[in-house]
Amino acid sequence: MSIYLITGATSDVGIELIKTIAKNGDKFLLQGFGNNTDIKHLCVERNIDYIYFEADLSSSESTNNFISKLNDSGLTPTHFVHLPALRVINTKFKNFDEERFLADINVQVMSAIKICKYILPKMSKAKFGRVLFMATSYVLSNPPKNTAAYIMAKNSIVGLMKSLATDYAPSGITVNCVSPSMIETKFLSDTSHLIVEAAANEHPMKRNAKVNDVVPAMAFLLSEEARFITGVNLPITGGSIIE
Amino acid sequence: MTKEEIMGQLTEIFRDIFDDEDIVLTESTTSDDIEDWDSLEQINLLVAIEKHFKIKFQLADVANLENVGSMVELVSKMIA
Repeated sequence: MSIYLITGATSDVGIELIKTIAKNGDKFLLQGFGNNTDIKHLCVERNIDYIYFEADLSSSESTNNFISKLNDSGLTPTHFVHLPALRVINTKFKNFDEERFLADINVQVMSAIKICKYILPKMSKAKFGRVLFMATSYVLSNPPKNTAAYIMAKNSIVGLMKSLATDYAPSGITVNCVSPSMIETKFLSDTSHLIVEAAANEHPMKRNAKVNDVVPAMAFLLSEEARFITGVNLPITGGSIIE
Repeated sequence: MTKEEIMGQLTEIFRDIFDDEDIVLTESTTSDDIEDWDSLEQINLLVAIEKHFKIKFQLADVANLENVGSMVELVSKMIA
């Protein structure tokens, strides 16, 4: 039996991932913020054993409360998938509100640090764990202009992944990132359609990624078979970035 | 809105996007006249214009804009 902790679970990627990996007997600890209708519907429809936690990860207090409730559940995750990010805003650096940098860091990085501090010692005792962070192909090459807060946070999460992979390899825990190119999901709702269309136009496959292009690779990194893969930031780009 | 007024507002957008208060646009201004005006910045420019004028371009409509004059023409049609 696996116990999956998924943060940012209400995202399109989160929902597709649950659909892909859920097996009888698994438990899901799902964090979201805002509209959770789709995920609750999915869990009921597929008879998935889940606990839903509403938490605003931009708030330190809310994140701490979430971890406290996680502890109260008495369940120790075997897998942790960290997906949350604030929707990207396209703003010139000089116009960026400094608070926005903090918000991105809190949502993506500080929450990961707090959760990892809670679960990694437990995974370490169990001598098993899978941790997977969502990065972006923008950390693999020149990032797009005017997205400084998002890019800063995503690069931080990759740095955290490398460090944790090193620290916890002796405990049988793998820590990895996936770095997809632009995925067409509701996450792009604040991104101009011109940017989305131009990205598809410039892509070698003449399209952006779909959720189901990305999720199978995530499922693999969470699987038993990926036991010897750690510290990796896996590009899922359809050839738009080749390292 | 007159074409002169659109040109004036586009000038402000260009100055903001390219961080250059000295930019003076004419109808014949092209990407060759502004050093940082590349294809990526073109998208950022169009996004800023969309936001300012509350319009929505189609990629096909803006792919072959020849110069600032044709940009003014397009905006003028879309806000009419």
